[in-house]
Amino acid sequence: MNDFLPLIPAATLVVGAIVLMLSEVFLASANRGYMVIVATLTSVVAAVAAFWNAFEPARSVLQGYAVLDPFSSFMTCMVCVGTALSGLVASSFLKHRNAERGEFYALVLFAAAGMSLLALSNEFITIFINLEVLSVATYSLTAYLRRGGRPAEAGFKYFILGAFSASLLLYGAALLYGATGVTKLDELERALPLAAATQPALVYVGFGLVLAGFAFKVAAVPFHMWTPDVYEGAPTPVTALMSAGVKSAAFVSLVRVFLAMKGALPPEVPYLLFAALALVTMVAGNLLAMPQRNVKRMLAYSSIAHAGYLLLGVAALFAPAGASAKAGVLAVTPLLGGTAVAAGDVYKGLLFYLLGYTVTTVGAFGCVAAIERREDETRTNTWDLERFAGLAQRQPGWAVAMAAFMLSLAGVPPTAGFIGKLFVFSAAVDAGLIGLAVAGVLASVAGTYYYLRVVVYMFMRPSPDEATAPFRHWTMDVALVTSAVAVVALGLLPGPVAQWLSRAGMMFGHF
Amino acid sequence: METPLTPYLPIALVLLIAGGMAVIIPFFTGLLGPKSVNPVKSSTFEGGNIVVGSTRQRFAVKFYVVALLFIVFDVEAVFLYPWAVNFKALGWFGYATMLVFASTLVVALIYIWKKGALSWES
Repeated sequence: MNDFLPLIPAATLVVGAIVLMLSEVFLASANRGYMVIVATLTSVVAAVAAFWNAFEPARSVLQGYAVLDPFSSFMTCMVCVGTALSGLVASSFLKHRNAERGEFYALVLFAAAGMSLLALSNEFITIFINLEVLSVATYSLTAYLRRGGRPAEAGFKYFILGAFSASLLLYGAALLYGATGVTKLDELERALPLAAATQPALVYVGFGLVLAGFAFKVAAVPFHMWTPDVYEGAPTPVTALMSAGVKSAAFVSLVRVFLAMKGALPPEVPYLLFAALALVTMVAGNLLAMPQRNVKRMLAYSSIAHAGYLLLGVAALFAPAGASAKAGVLAVTPLLGGTAVAAGDVYKGLLFYLLGYTVTTVGAFGCVAAIERREDETRTNTWDLERFAGLAQRQPGWAVAMAAFMLSLAGVPPTAGFIGKLFVFSAAVDAGLIGLAVAGVLASVAGTYYYLRVVVYMFMRPSPDEATAPFRHWTMDVALVTSAVAVVALGLLPGPVAQWLSRAGMMFGHF
Repeated sequence: METPLTPYLPIALVLLIAGGMAVIIPFFTGLLGPKSVNPVKSSTFEGGNIVVGSTRQRFAVKFYVVALLFIVFDVEAVFLYPWAVNFKALGWFGYATMLVFASTLVVALIYIWKKGALSWES
């Protein structure tokens, strides 16, 4: 029975989704105010259940198809929080457009169920199916608003490229299966070294294809081309969900898969690959975001840059032993055959970064959604910086929240983004990736330019004359206040969370 | 040399032969067959009737909806068959699993029914 513990959060989400789906068709009332409450409560209950699971001892469950470890439970918890916040943003956004329907929340919850299951999947077919569950839900959410061509274009683009990347992943997994005859990651870890010696071509091509598949999902350069168009075209709350949830879940799975494959390859191969991906992603993401005057598109490019910082953390996980001065002390970490350098610190950094990024990005896209008006949908300058001009006079609360999110994305203390960057960069330095960490810091310094520009517009530019009052609904305020408080609280008091996270990191896949 | 891919050799052969046929047959047909090209011969269908309208017609979206729903419930049958064959061996666990699966699909059926996706008129 204990085997079913890890499934409780996902089961809760699915039940909530079904309830909302059926209430949409059975309760033929125009008043759908209860829906956002049901969706939020479902996500919160799932988050609590996942939090509960984080105190379970790490172990392999469901015949080895999944693992129950604090790492995955924490990720599930985080995804559910992101879902709840995106749902609240969506409620206000959809009410304004008279498009609030049960199906929207049902799809959001189905996507969250896929994400939480992806976090604990430990087998290629399971990973693929959960990746599809979350992707299919987000494809349809992208095209949810049917008015105008933009959502349809974004949905179609996302669908085609997403299906293509999923098939790359599947093909890579098939080649690895051809080389070893197993799909479970722990068995793969044991079988792959022999296969790499006898059939290097299959293993290397499989490795590359799986890497490309994941790089698409996390939007790493050079697999990032879909991101700006899809993020811009999707309804803004859906963009928040994509950038918070989909990215986090894909990162967890990426770490799990590549740690299993690590032993089969020369240590420089995964390390150099991830280091190169991190470098180009950080630099290109920031440089491409700089000229954007469209805030939504700028945030899309910024999410690429943030994927780069996270990949820096992943590269630190794969740094060969001996690269670091501390390696002698920290190689005793009882993980990964003792080759990992301060693995616990790296996991802590990655998890804290993802946590900070989740609350920040949902809040930032929430602010964009808050000031976006239905009348502007067809215009091209809907999200132009000018829209933010003088926001501090018109909506001081929102302006302060948006400023907090921008500072957190830029990595300025005292925000969650600063602590996350601090953890990731210091883990990278400990792992001997000093050059890469310096590049990361320089890239994020360049990033402050376009984040602070939004703040400058909000606080130092006069309001345009024709500015009208935005649509206000309590759900939006709840979401923005919660995210802003979380961003600042995590930045001021990172201690308790960080401590707990480093425990979660130490337990990663260790049973 | 015995590799894990050896059992797939016959499949590779079949692929090779099938691909070869697809190249060889049209090539020799074009080379050896009689040719008489005239407007009647090269018109569409060559059925004697004059072509009416374009072939690129728009279909009502309900055809696609029905086709998609058919696939969903057809795939359910694909899962039901192996379960039915192993019914005894899988025992109560298998029964409960299939019950969850089938009831999820029943919920989906209720949803699409109430949503009106099954009504052809209107």
